[in-house]
Amino acid sequence: MSRLPYVVRKLMYGIPLLLGVTFVSFLLMVYFGPDKTYELLGKNPTTEQINEVRHALGYDRPFLLRYSQYLKELATLDLGLSDSSGEPVSSILTRTLPVSLMLVLPGFVLGNVLGLAIGLLAAWYRGLWLDKLVISSSVVGMSVSFLIIIIGLQIMLCTPYGLNIFPVRGWQVHDLVSYLHHATVPTIALVLVTLGYNTRFYRAVMVDEIERDHIRTLQAFGASPVEQLFRHVLKNSLVPILTRIMFSVPFVLISGSLLLESYFGIPGIGLVTFDAITSGDQPILKAVVGLTGVLFVLALTINDMLYSVVDPQVTRS
Amino acid sequence: MLKKNHIAILSVLLILGACGESPSTDSGVPAKTYRHAMDGAPDSLDPAQASSVYANQIVVNLYDTLYRYKYLARPYELQPNLAAAMPAISDDGLRLTIPIKKDVYFIDDPAFEGGVGREVTAGDFVYSIKRHFDPATRARGTWLWQNRIEGLDEWKANGSDYNQEVSGLRALDQHTLQITLTRPFPQLVHTLTQGFAGVVPREAVETYRLQLASHPVGSGPFKLLSRNSVRAVLERNTRFRSEPFSLQDEGYDPQERDTTGMEVLEGGIAPFVDRLEFEFITEDAARWNAFFAGEVHFIKVPVSQFDNVLSQRNPLTLSPQFQDVYQFEASPEAGFIYTNFNMADERIGYHPDPEQNRRNHALRCAMVKAFDWKKRNEIFFYDIGRVFPGILPPSVPEYNPEGDHSYIERDLTGAREFLLAAGWNGDNLPVLEYGFPNSVTERQIFEQFRNFMMDIGYPANKIRPMVFATYGDYQRAYSQGKVTLINSSWTMDYPDAENNMQLYYGPNAAPGSNSANYNNPEYDRLYVAGAALRESPERTQIYREMNQLLMDDCASFTGISRTLLFLWDRNVIMKPDRSFLGGYFMRFVDLKDLPPP
Repeated sequence: MSRLPYVVRKLMYGIPLLLGVTFVSFLLMVYFGPDKTYELLGKNPTTEQINEVRHALGYDRPFLLRYSQYLKELATLDLGLSDSSGEPVSSILTRTLPVSLMLVLPGFVLGNVLGLAIGLLAAWYRGLWLDKLVISSSVVGMSVSFLIIIIGLQIMLCTPYGLNIFPVRGWQVHDLVSYLHHATVPTIALVLVTLGYNTRFYRAVMVDEIERDHIRTLQAFGASPVEQLFRHVLKNSLVPILTRIMFSVPFVLISGSLLLESYFGIPGIGLVTFDAITSGDQPILKAVVGLTGVLFVLALTINDMLYSVVDPQVTRS
Repeated sequence: MLKKNHIAILSVLLILGACGESPSTDSGVPAKTYRHAMDGAPDSLDPAQASSVYANQIVVNLYDTLYRYKYLARPYELQPNLAAAMPAISDDGLRLTIPIKKDVYFIDDPAFEGGVGREVTAGDFVYSIKRHFDPATRARGTWLWQNRIEGLDEWKANGSDYNQEVSGLRALDQHTLQITLTRPFPQLVHTLTQGFAGVVPREAVETYRLQLASHPVGSGPFKLLSRNSVRAVLERNTRFRSEPFSLQDEGYDPQERDTTGMEVLEGGIAPFVDRLEFEFITEDAARWNAFFAGEVHFIKVPVSQFDNVLSQRNPLTLSPQFQDVYQFEASPEAGFIYTNFNMADERIGYHPDPEQNRRNHALRCAMVKAFDWKKRNEIFFYDIGRVFPGILPPSVPEYNPEGDHSYIERDLTGAREFLLAAGWNGDNLPVLEYGFPNSVTERQIFEQFRNFMMDIGYPANKIRPMVFATYGDYQRAYSQGKVTLINSSWTMDYPDAENNMQLYYGPNAAPGSNSANYNNPEYDRLYVAGAALRESPERTQIYREMNQLLMDDCASFTGISRTLLFLWDRNVIMKPDRSFLGGYFMRFVDLKDLPPP
């Protein structure tokens, strides 16, 4: 297990990163974030009641004390109760994270796989009409607002104005069929909105690789296009591809599904996070910030490990 | 490397973890389900925290209150709910004795001994009101009873010890309650209809504490099955008391409501549906699509769909394409929208120098005259809102349709004359901060306001937007006097004009609901005199005088009551309500025997 010390070292490097992220986020939350006090007050509050609520929320405690309490909560995973609903934050996360994961996973995978395939194709036929078609379509895809895509798909697939074969909203998932019933339209929306970005990125990476000397050498040896593309171009491009995918994961999980969840009525973590931001629900925000930080550290570590798998030079260096 | 069966197990776990619930009763029969779309979500389901329309609509279905309003009577009429009768009131109006129904039970819950819900008693009501005066509750309805019930404020001052009695709040026996007031408060019974007055069991509060907000334990017609950020599912409380539905008792008028088919409900036992599903859909387009696709039975029509839904505005008429499918109602809002001057700001409000005070008054009046309510209504309220002078909207009996409406009529010439006479010009007009929470509509409303003022020569750069991330931040800012022009709305808590008049009562100044910091001793004197009276010609006279005082002082741009449009499936038998009756109507909702949507 020669990799274990490497992994442990990488994870240790993540601790200062986590401390930095949580400190800056907490600072912003405390001094620039929404103040929940008045949302928790009645219509005719007295100064005494205002102070009571501020005290209950911990707003009257020194910053460093609050921050150390936050770190303790993260370390013990005792994340407290939501200021709004009174529900334990850990229950909220446990309930919403799987939903978000189930919602975005197919779209995320499909968006990347299709983007890779189309990018590869466009790179191979670079400069030709197929490449131009892919590039222009990608630009169109990138230009259309996510909101328009969602509403358009809802109208076309979910209402009597169109095919009316999928639900507009909801997440009554009991089995694979009901899952497909509810997840199909959001997945199509996610694929449509990400495909343009992915395709352009992957095409650029592949073009860069295809134009290298060793590929020309391969061509001179008479290697087939499939061999060139899959055994050499794709393999040698894996470092930037992995980087993009791994660093997308925390974003996709926490915030990428917000619009989908909101418009399709799906109770995932994106919507909960958005509500917490707009209402100043600090216990949820603190947990999400901590979780995002941890996810980034994990992504960073896994990413580094994968580098060494796909490119042995990384380990040597 | 993960093996294939590991991936399969992971997939199953994910699907299970992300599962929702399916609608069927215990016997496996598909549940009769009413699906209600809301344009916002409740944060807490604890009655003591049910301050929003959304929370209140759900809470009154989970918890019992002593009183409610009759389902169909308009104007609204009070009716016993958990109470067995209307209160017996002493001659001086200070003591109310309320009998409570017997054999009413809380739902079964692990918080109770043996997990079985016990009987609701008068002591539970006493406990529930005391909770509002316990800081640990984070209650939001305290103001309803503050300084009104004998001994209650002192109870809080002494540490909110539940073992200490409150002299003005006593359970005379298991089923009799007595409330003693510090001064006459004719609106008390109205406050007992609100979600805030929902009766909670002490065992549940002590078991769940703040988590009661997401784990309700009540005695209402429904109990909570599940809830998340996009929906709440309630199912029938099978232990809810059996009371035959009576059209006559609920104020039914066959002439008025002959299209709803409500006659079939006569003699039935509420609730009529097995499940209530609340869908929280904040986005207008998604809400409309869900309704049009038949996924919800009811919708408050988004303004963006008014043109689609209505064929004409006067009278409001549903488009022919919808008439066979939906029922429709235009409901006046129980409240109004207004913009206050911060009267505590010497640049525009009260000033210690009498001359400057006079000039400020002239400036305010000029601005009020420059305001164009017709355009405000036309652009933002589809021209179907009701504009009225002052704070007595058409929904209260004190409203005077024959009265002077010049306060809400645009008069640019008069406005300029006011400015000129007081020596105001573009150079010496004060800089004003107009506050609003961040939203496109709020920004548009501000721009329109500024445009109105520019018409009388107010420089655009002297009316500045002050934008806040949330309404809470905005409220904090204007409560601390940092905003000069406070755009706001008021939702009436009960159908009594007193609720509006207190908005400008001096002692309610910021951080209280008198955000204008209006301070007129004569207004305050009249408020105190009127507050002790029930609705009567004498009180009407007092309230109209107060309304006039407010307008004479030009303390506010006011006001307009929006008209809300409701649309619901023709197969649903109901009369929806979003104001005082609120969620109480849902126990009476029934569905014709057709397949669910």
